[in-house]
Amino acid sequence: MLEGGKISIRQLTILVMLVTIGDSILVLPSISTFYAQQDAWVSSFIGMTAGLLVVYVFCMVGQLYPHLTLIQSIQQILGKWVGAIVSLLFLAYFFLSATAHTREVGDFLNIEMIQETPLQASQILFISIVIMAARLGLEVIGRTAEFFTPLILIIFLILIMFLLPQIELERIEPLLENGIKPVLMGSIPCLAFPFLELVTFLMILPYVTQTKKIRQGFLQGALFGGIVLIIIIAMSVLVLGADETSRSIYPSYSLARKISLGRFLERVESSIALMWLLTISIKITLYFYAFILGLAQLFKLKEYRMLALPAAMLLIVLSPLISPNITYYNVLIAKYWPYLDLTYGLLFPLLLIGVYYVRKISKKPTEA
Amino acid sequence: MLTIAGILIAVAIIIAIDVPVLLRKKLHKELWLFSFLLCLGTVLGIVQALHIQIANPMDWLIMVYKPVADLVETWLK
Repeated sequence: MLEGGKISIRQLTILVMLVTIGDSILVLPSISTFYAQQDAWVSSFIGMTAGLLVVYVFCMVGQLYPHLTLIQSIQQILGKWVGAIVSLLFLAYFFLSATAHTREVGDFLNIEMIQETPLQASQILFISIVIMAARLGLEVIGRTAEFFTPLILIIFLILIMFLLPQIELERIEPLLENGIKPVLMGSIPCLAFPFLELVTFLMILPYVTQTKKIRQGFLQGALFGGIVLIIIIAMSVLVLGADETSRSIYPSYSLARKISLGRFLERVESSIALMWLLTISIKITLYFYAFILGLAQLFKLKEYRMLALPAAMLLIVLSPLISPNITYYNVLIAKYWPYLDLTYGLLFPLLLIGVYYVRKISKKPTEA
Repeated sequence: MLTIAGILIAVAIIIAIDVPVLLRKKLHKELWLFSFLLCLGTVLGIVQALHIQIANPMDWLIMVYKPVADLVETWLK
């Protein structure tokens, strides 16, 4: 076994929750509000419902070969050559996702907090933590997530509590002004960014103790994360209004700016930046970890840890390459990325299940 | 030039950290993949440091998904 570590069901639930919240907490409100306007909260609700179904599909894929990771089971199901191609596609997806998320961290810090620092500097600092976590293995990632969860939840609750007085209910009226179609359009990113990207967990499900409770833990984590997202999207619209939410890049950051308690408690927006940095670092770590572990499994290596440093270097040099500026990045994420997620998070898992059962019925021996 | 020197120093540090262990354990396949990833990173880094324009992989991605995205968008307008 490449990875000797094990994580508990509780750690799995927490990891799923944090990855669901991930970067979505900062970028999702503006993207879904852009399409659905004041009905974005309905979109997020539809997105979560569909998302839980997708998580159910992930659990089904995980149960085909409970002791193999995604990359290994792809090779079992699709055979050696097709399997290798699909595995490489998945690895490219994990790597591109990690790169895009790292870029997002750099862009955010560059725009909102440390304007003078070059993009690479903050990215290298950030990615060193990811390298460290990936080299230390799954158990450490799980325990880190567990350790930071109370902090994340406390920040979130404080934020929501202080914003409650500023809610104006007429901001979400009228309901379904332009019919259901824009709402459905807005629910596509709400499904894709938090939930379809959970496909990474297929790489770590075999390392969870108590295999029988995986489905329950997975669904619970996605549900908690989804509720946090629904609340933050609804708050963005209720406090900032649909117009301002869809026009700003980081609505929840602007949301936190609104907090002001009698000129005594001011400028708490960095707390939401802290919360977001914690959740996105867990998300990038998981993607990065899935990439190097999957790569090692595809080439049947005995070690995966030494791949962390060169892969991280590739990531750092690739991140300025994937988008020349922030506008390009935002269009890419808002318009095209959801379909990439749909391909890998829905199409491929369904394909795997389909091929598995077709092979089982035709009773051909599966080749290794 | 300074950027290229920085990249090479980073590569040297990465090699110093991982390669001795790999050699000692005689993990040759691992070493090949390690070198491949590292070379790819170094070349891409140096190409960027020299300000040479290279294709953006995301442009291909957009090319692939543009028809789908446009279709869904017109349907849900």
